[in-house]
Amino acid sequence: MEPILRLEKVTKAYRSVPAIQDVDFDLRKGEIHALLGENGAGKSTLTKVMAGVVEPTSGRMIYKGRETTFANPNEALHSGVAMVFQETSLVPSMTVAQNLYLGSERFLNRLRGTFISAQQFLQSLNFPVDPGAMVESLGAAKRQMVEIARAVHHKSEVIIFDEPTATLTPEEKRHFFALLRRLRERGVSIVFISHALEEALMIADRITILRDGELVTTGPTADFDRDKIIAAMVGRTLSGELYRKRDASHLRKPGRKVLSVQDISMGAMVRNTSFSIFEGQITGVFGLIGSGRTETFKIISGIYKRDFLRGGQITLDDRPVRYYTPAQAVSDGICYITEDRKSEGFFETMSIGENLFAGMLAAGREDGVVIRKRTLRDLAEEWTSRLNIKAINPDARVVELSGGNQQKVVIGKGLIQKPRIVIFDEPTRGVDVAAISEIHQLINDLADQGLAVVMISSYLPEILNLSDRILVCRQGRIVEELSPLEATEEKIMYAAVH
Amino acid sequence: MILDPILDVFRGRAITIPPLDGAFRANTGLDDAAVFATLLGADDLCRHASGVLASAGRGLFRLRAGAAPEQVETHPAPISAIAASGATLAVALEDGTLIENGAAVARPDGVSCITALAYGPDGALWLTNGSDRHGPADWANDLMERNSAGSVWCRAPGGGWQRVAGGLGWPFGVLPDTKGAVVSESWRHRLVRVGGGRITPVLRHLPGYPARLSSRPGGGAWLTLFAPRNRLIEFVLRENHYRFDMMAKVPRAFWIAPAMSSGQSFLEPLQCGGIRVMGVHKPWAPSRSYGLAVRLDADMAPEISLHSRANGKRHGTCAALETEDGLLVASRGGGMVLAPNAGEGA
Repeated sequence: MEPILRLEKVTKAYRSVPAIQDVDFDLRKGEIHALLGENGAGKSTLTKVMAGVVEPTSGRMIYKGRETTFANPNEALHSGVAMVFQETSLVPSMTVAQNLYLGSERFLNRLRGTFISAQQFLQSLNFPVDPGAMVESLGAAKRQMVEIARAVHHKSEVIIFDEPTATLTPEEKRHFFALLRRLRERGVSIVFISHALEEALMIADRITILRDGELVTTGPTADFDRDKIIAAMVGRTLSGELYRKRDASHLRKPGRKVLSVQDISMGAMVRNTSFSIFEGQITGVFGLIGSGRTETFKIISGIYKRDFLRGGQITLDDRPVRYYTPAQAVSDGICYITEDRKSEGFFETMSIGENLFAGMLAAGREDGVVIRKRTLRDLAEEWTSRLNIKAINPDARVVELSGGNQQKVVIGKGLIQKPRIVIFDEPTRGVDVAAISEIHQLINDLADQGLAVVMISSYLPEILNLSDRILVCRQGRIVEELSPLEATEEKIMYAAVH
Repeated sequence: MILDPILDVFRGRAITIPPLDGAFRANTGLDDAAVFATLLGADDLCRHASGVLASAGRGLFRLRAGAAPEQVETHPAPISAIAASGATLAVALEDGTLIENGAAVARPDGVSCITALAYGPDGALWLTNGSDRHGPADWANDLMERNSAGSVWCRAPGGGWQRVAGGLGWPFGVLPDTKGAVVSESWRHRLVRVGGGRITPVLRHLPGYPARLSSRPGGGAWLTLFAPRNRLIEFVLRENHYRFDMMAKVPRAFWIAPAMSSGQSFLEPLQCGGIRVMGVHKPWAPSRSYGLAVRLDADMAPEISLHSRANGKRHGTCAALETEDGLLVASRGGGMVLAPNAGEGA
């Protein structure tokens, strides 16, 4: 079959360091093509070349049989190539409907008409999003839905999805995959980037794997399985390290009760929830999106405030605490590592050292008032080596790092505060398998050192295989505590839903 | 944070209860346990040279596996505590009498509410006096009056009684060791170490009212909690006018107060509208009575726990005793001595 889009020997270099090198890639009409690889493998760069976001340093792109170069994403969009970015490109101060029709408004635009047609369109995609809602009020999952809907709405012939499912619930993923299949039936070609290998195996017709900016293999999905993909992605097998079965000897015994949360409430999001956190243990917290798990731990870390009246009580080392700012929690040794690293985790235009120093500033651990370049460089070098952060140089800006390495910077920024309680919120979201393995090892090491570790995750194998005890959150409260020895994915999901 | 104590005056302090999680994770360890002996009012347990003894009402019983309890002593008043060291047996009665090896012995002046007895490793006899103001049977009155009139006493071998600590909120268990003793303080929901003129908290914020302590053969201890804390009772304990009205006008069995057993009368107070939904008794309901035995490690940190939940009947657990033959738990509310699997639980 003649490919709709073909890349030949494409190379893209930043500051003469190639992000992708001599990559050949073809996308057939009406296929779903999964693009896999570790963070930093060059997946995003390759798709950015296709969508006209970046210009290739060398090589050529053939689209619909003609050699093409898109000057910008708008040109690509008008030619039928749309890209749904990991970080959404919506206008926060506009409604969902306005965002959907942004750039394609009629001369005489009626708000009501836009609203109705957006509503019908979203319903046809099975996306439960209110078209009248302001985008800034939407959660990450719903923003992603709007972004996807916008790409579909432009009747593109090629749609590139960069990790579209990272923020979706299992139910939303099911709808999303059904949508992909409908698009495929209509003849739309889809490039699908995901770190969830099972998703690629389930939905894709063909798989292409990149490693260190080079093409490793391309083939029909039937030729791959999980282990083969991982081996191709990282050059070694990790399945024995990730998500292994645990027995009683692997479980850590609880240490001292360091934090006790009793009946805390915050509006309708957190409702009378109670639980304890112990030293030397990993407490896994599972809950569906909207279950209040993140909000609960943001209250503990002083980011959100619990209800002024009847807001419950939090005791740290048997001492009641009520934080009004995160700085108070940080000074008490509580560190929250955010799930949304791009907007809350780091300053993307600052260097690794500057970001780490910001962590020190938050904990009041800096010496003196003058920031020396040497200090920043030393910090960057120390933590780059400690957390195995891969960067072109220690002065690299965080925006230039891959997702996994950015996550490590966020973790480093937290750990530099020398916390006693570390709360990881989705620590491996948007992170490749090799970095997942390293982050898991780090989390285990922290618990082994006697720190109280909380890990919030939507990924059940991660919860089951890393936690020493599992708390399940539903409708704003902890509804179940399970031991990993007795817990199964079904039991956890049942508690989270019923 | 600095202003919180001032703000609390206006917004009211949060009434919260520590969650049953971690080592206190709810299970049915006591509900599923085998019945070792049926003994109405089973209260205290001790290991004597002649076997395991249990007190219930006015009688002292010897317990044997597979046999009915054998009554070995009967006293003129209900027994409030027992302890043994080898062949030496101490028995305290609710009228304040202290009997050692069958003969009444002197007790400290003003002590008439002996709630626990224990022999230390050096042979010293320790006792806890629940309250200066009430007898052992009137524990609910002492709680509702919010008294802190309990004390701990020690009598060294051949010596006289010495007051080790005072001002305690119903001390109900004592576990002597070489450095003093660990005492359970029911009304403050905690274990404290007493000795050397100091009272040091060892384990705080327990989710119930702690009762007696006993040592384990391999180190550590067993602690029983005779009733759970619940929000309604915590609330009533802060509402002085209501509480004193209730004490004056309502029969004690129907007070909003902890109980050794509950659910026997429709006149009993309920929280949150009820503890039955569609005829099903909710195990997580906020009940007035509960059964809970907790295994503590050598540092008095909870390891595992065994529960009889709101829908169970083996409540009012006042004593636990672990021997080489296994664990026994006395359930006063259930009227039985249980033999749970000590390795089960959270």
